[in-house]
Amino acid sequence: MLRSQSILFGASTALLALAGEPLAASFGNGPLAIRVGRAETVTKGVIENAVILVEDGKIVTIGEDLPVERGVQVIDRPQWTVMPGMVSSYTRIGLDSEGGDDMSPDVKASDELWPKSRDMRKVVDYGFTTLGVYPAGNGIPGLAAAIRPRGETVAEMILKDPAYLKIVMRSDSASKKRIRDAFAKVDEYEEKVKKAREKWDKDKDKDKDKKGKKDEKPAEKPAEKPAEKTDEKKMADPDAQDVGSEAAQEGKTDAKDEKKADGFVPPAPDDKSRSFVEMRAKKLRALVTLAGAADWLHWLDALGKETIGFDVRLVLNQDSDIYFVFDKKTYDLDADGIGDRKVHAVVEPVLTFTPHTRRLRNLPMELAQAGAKVCFTPRTDNLDNYKEFLGHVSELIGAGMTRDVALRALTQNGADLLGVGDRVGSLEKGKDANLVFLDGDPFQPATRIQAVMLDGRFVFGEVDS
Amino acid sequence: MHTSRTIPTFAATAFLACVAAFSSCASSRSADLSELAPGDEGVAIRCGRVLTVDEDDRIHGPGLILVKNGRIAYVGPERDIPAGYAVAEHPDLWAAPGMVELHAHVQGSGGDINDMVYPVNADLRASAGMVPSNPAIRRACAGGVTTLFGIPGSGTSIGGFGVIFKAKTKATYDEAVVRDPGGMKVAQSYNPERRAGDLGATRAGLAWILEQYNEEARAMNREGTSTPMLENLQKVHARELPVLIHSAGSDGYPAAARMWHVGNGTRAVLSHGCFDAHLTAPWLVKTGVPLNVGPREIDFASTRDGRITGIAARYLEAGAKDLSLCTDSPVVPQEELFLQGAVAARYGADSYTMLRAVTIAPARVFGLEDRLGSLEVGKDADIVLRTGDPLDPRSRVERVYIDGRVEYDRRQDGQWF
Amino acid sequence: MIQLDLTRRLALVATLAVSALPVLAQDGEKPAETKEKPAEPADGEKKKEDEEERWFAIQNGDVYTGTGEVLRGATLLAKNGKIHSIGYDLYVPPDAKTLDAKGFRLYPGLVAISSQGLLGNASSDFDDTIDPFNSRMILALGTGITTTGAGTAAVKLKRFSVDGAVVNEKIFSSFSWSNSNPRVKGELRDKFVAATNYLREYREWQRKVKDDKTLAEPNKRGVDNTVLAVLQGEQTAKFVSNDRDELLGIAHLAQEFGFRPVIEGCQEGWTIADELGRAGVRAIITPRDRRAKDERQVLAGGASIENAAILHRAGVPVAITPASEGVDLSGLVGRDIMHLPLEPGFAVRGGLPERAALESITIVPARILGISHRVGSLEIGKDCDVIVTDGDVLHYKTFVQWAVVDGKVAYDKEKELFFAHIRPRPEAAAPKKIDAGETPPDPDAKPDETDEDVEKKDGEDEPEEKGDGDEPKKDR
Repeated sequence: MLRSQSILFGASTALLALAGEPLAASFGNGPLAIRVGRAETVTKGVIENAVILVEDGKIVTIGEDLPVERGVQVIDRPQWTVMPGMVSSYTRIGLDSEGGDDMSPDVKASDELWPKSRDMRKVVDYGFTTLGVYPAGNGIPGLAAAIRPRGETVAEMILKDPAYLKIVMRSDSASKKRIRDAFAKVDEYEEKVKKAREKWDKDKDKDKDKKGKKDEKPAEKPAEKPAEKTDEKKMADPDAQDVGSEAAQEGKTDAKDEKKADGFVPPAPDDKSRSFVEMRAKKLRALVTLAGAADWLHWLDALGKETIGFDVRLVLNQDSDIYFVFDKKTYDLDADGIGDRKVHAVVEPVLTFTPHTRRLRNLPMELAQAGAKVCFTPRTDNLDNYKEFLGHVSELIGAGMTRDVALRALTQNGADLLGVGDRVGSLEKGKDANLVFLDGDPFQPATRIQAVMLDGRFVFGEVDS
Repeated sequence: MHTSRTIPTFAATAFLACVAAFSSCASSRSADLSELAPGDEGVAIRCGRVLTVDEDDRIHGPGLILVKNGRIAYVGPERDIPAGYAVAEHPDLWAAPGMVELHAHVQGSGGDINDMVYPVNADLRASAGMVPSNPAIRRACAGGVTTLFGIPGSGTSIGGFGVIFKAKTKATYDEAVVRDPGGMKVAQSYNPERRAGDLGATRAGLAWILEQYNEEARAMNREGTSTPMLENLQKVHARELPVLIHSAGSDGYPAAARMWHVGNGTRAVLSHGCFDAHLTAPWLVKTGVPLNVGPREIDFASTRDGRITGIAARYLEAGAKDLSLCTDSPVVPQEELFLQGAVAARYGADSYTMLRAVTIAPARVFGLEDRLGSLEVGKDADIVLRTGDPLDPRSRVERVYIDGRVEYDRRQDGQWF
Repeated sequence: MIQLDLTRRLALVATLAVSALPVLAQDGEKPAETKEKPAEPADGEKKKEDEEERWFAIQNGDVYTGTGEVLRGATLLAKNGKIHSIGYDLYVPPDAKTLDAKGFRLYPGLVAISSQGLLGNASSDFDDTIDPFNSRMILALGTGITTTGAGTAAVKLKRFSVDGAVVNEKIFSSFSWSNSNPRVKGELRDKFVAATNYLREYREWQRKVKDDKTLAEPNKRGVDNTVLAVLQGEQTAKFVSNDRDELLGIAHLAQEFGFRPVIEGCQEGWTIADELGRAGVRAIITPRDRRAKDERQVLAGGASIENAAILHRAGVPVAITPASEGVDLSGLVGRDIMHLPLEPGFAVRGGLPERAALESITIVPARILGISHRVGSLEIGKDCDVIVTDGDVLHYKTFVQWAVVDGKVAYDKEKELFFAHIRPRPEAAAPKKIDAGETPPDPDAKPDETDEDVEKKDGEDEPEEKGDGDEPKKDR
């Protein structure tokens, strides 16, 4: 116990006290200190004899052998290991609707959520505190959301919505056409915006000449476009323009986002184009499902000049040939490899064979070595596989994957993919208190999860002080 | 086997001429350079190259073959031709022995390969269904195949007894037959498995069916008795007749060797040996059982190591002796027996060994090497003249002699293949 | 030219036949059909003034150009994927990639006139569906094939890239000409008549409309566009036929209307070779086709191993294809696309000269596919599609050591598992042995769908089995 640390600890506690949060005696309220034998922080290595202080659903601090002020509730478990709550960034556990048509980029998985879903709630018991749920279907089925598996209401469950746009890529004309057409529509939209802008500028210049005239010339436009604002008063109050125009209402959020300082509000894109507009504006990323090496090349070919941000989901069939495109150099490709783009790659924790042989390959390991950020998704999207998840990942460690990569693939990488990497995914100060407590090394077969904490509250496991 | 030496002295020649009458080893017979007597038929064939495929693998270029009354009287370098011989000049052609096929089903009408009522056809004779000089046989001749073992199919554990015959193009049964029964045919993998609810759905069940018959035959041999139904099976167990066994896979192939070669001590020849049977090559070679590879020459899916495995090459690497090849015609057309040699060579076997695999090796393992399989003095004059390497598809067969007579001549008969 | 009487019609045919010859000599300058994909990357990088140069040299090998020339110990130099020069003492830029082919031969990459499954699992829209990693493509490159006809397109086996693989599209229009369907024959003939008349009227109108602008364009109603395309040389008419009578009918149709058909099968072509030659027929043949002569006929008939040779002598260009156009790894060897170079050997057996045999799997299929200005022989300006072999490409033991497509090594025998263990290259690593401890596969394991079943889907049944057939069949 270092004096300086103790003082610091006491000071921060005092500050918290000053902030008006009383120290309560029961769990879930007030600060809680948990002492464990080992903490796998993921981002900052392993801490032995770790102490984690949790308050108001956040990790207040974490360190080795930190002294705990009297009055703070302490849970002492020297045999336990703690790791961040795991993230399954690509799942439909607990959801059961089927896909619709192949071009529905406006469909949201969050619309399917229902807080009472038994299976979804259950994954918490297996250590999963963050999920990325995607809509069902082929083609471009829609937008995924980052969620907590439990909540009283849907709103409580949502962490980030949308998290990514799911795109299923196959080596066929339909897939490529879909992508190309969608971006062609974005071009059209940008043209439209440009024209609207030009007109607006022109009209503004005209009005400058007519300064002083009392009557406004709103010059009614068709429903999609918002009414032009020539009146300075209106320019100061952007919300006023949206009243009465239904289409403009839909575009309200966009209009607000797009609003320039001088008050120009661009027309809203139609539903099917919106996600693509946002992708081009780098406000949304895509997650592209690929089944084989050829799919990767066809995806890059379909993208053409587009520079959108995307990550990949690689379906690892038993004889997967995806390793051909892990990097550019090994097979002297003209195009980039998956690792070269440093994308996140969602894969199952499964060993495959070199095609036509019985020689095992550890593709997730190779993928990580090539530079991609591996995120794990269960082998099959059901509760059994969530239960066995750590065991499956252990197989890959046994086959050569490093622990660090494996841990990250279960936690931080998935969080980053979902865009909530600043909130969850590691044991760091300020992040959500999503913690999994185990009675040993997470990757040993005898280890069992003892407790799970979600947003600072124990939601699994019997824990008393 | 022996290696032969050229005999320089007359005395030695005379001595050996006497020995030859009792010896079954053809290579020790001496050449007959006497002139033709009245009533003798003789043709002297001069070739650019003669592949004898004898034990010393002698090749004469140019060479001369003297054929007298259906047998080879002389084969060697160019020399003066005794009087009376008709002379065939083929300075551009290669001569090679007629090829020997141990696994053919083209002796009959074409559709009648299997009779599958009994699990064992103890005394069925393929010869009864033979159609001599049928179109498949004629094409086989044009492809350089001169002797075939025509057998029943593999639908039953013992298919029956096959007939050894020459691929003559205009012959009666008696003129074509070499030996009937020529040997027994057994099938032990996959095909004979019965699904009708009777015994024989499993390999063990099939083995039991076979062993019941084998035990009875052996018992009768011991007692010195016989019954008509089992007479020929008894000959198999007395090693008087060979038995050809259809078997494959690393499960079936060694099991067949265990039963027939090691267990029953018969003159067994294991046919096919495809899929992943080659993985058991070291043990098979140790037992010494002759292997007859074909029609499949490669394996990829069963061996599962990402390699295209040449089956014959693998057996040879393990030390197999007298490996022979087959077509299982019509699965591979009979006239393409040479191609089996070519592709076996392509996938790793030695080419010359593959030439032996379609000539002397099948003759030897079936006990026919005193008559067939190589161009040596005293053997049947089954000679194929081609424009080049016998294994190369580009080599055209120009003429085929069987028992010293021209059975196929491309210029006269047209090019059948 | 509106109404042709017989004499003028014959003259027209003769003119067309003669005028076709310089086209042939120039190796297929088919207008507008060939898709020229530019060499620059698809991401739209601006082409620099002095474009980046990619040099590649294959040195010290014996170069068999496919035009009858052999240059022993020569160098083949390629720039940006095209053959720049072939010869001796060539200057090879220091940054060039090189391949030492000492002791080996160079041949043009083989052109399979037709195949199945080499480009992946799809059979059309190859720009969007090609799978340049599929194992059948590797095996085909290992056979020496660098370009294949696929459906009505011609596609390169361009490994590791989806860009620029399709060389030509919409090459063929298929027509039916069958004795069992005389009505269709009549209808086809009528279509040709209608199209010919229309063309004649159209050309007449083109001539006259210059002086009289009010002249109406001839009516196109009732004119079959496919047939029109054939007459205008934009598409090639393709027939599948083996029967002597049918072949004669096609030849006469071709002579009457002035087009050069491609006939696939052509088994009895040898009986009327001269007619086919005069009609400008191109034949796609499998020398080992077996077909019995119809014994009711006195005329010669049936298949003949001499078919290719006889047709060739009569001036019919012969392309050769194996009996099975897919990859067959089930065990029976020598009759599938992986053994393409074996098949012309049987045509040689039947009397075809060796040079024509090589051409039957290189320049002749290239011409039929309309891509002979790019592939089919090793000549300056053509694509650098080269195979390096360890012997005569038509010999049964020869293996392809390297296959080069567009100046890039697409296949190296020693780097793929398939054939590396067979007569490995001397400087390559020692062949991988099967471990003594390696266990045979689990007999209960379900076989992988990608191997057997896919290969079988290529249409390769167990060949010529009668009744039970004797060869061992595993229950699958």
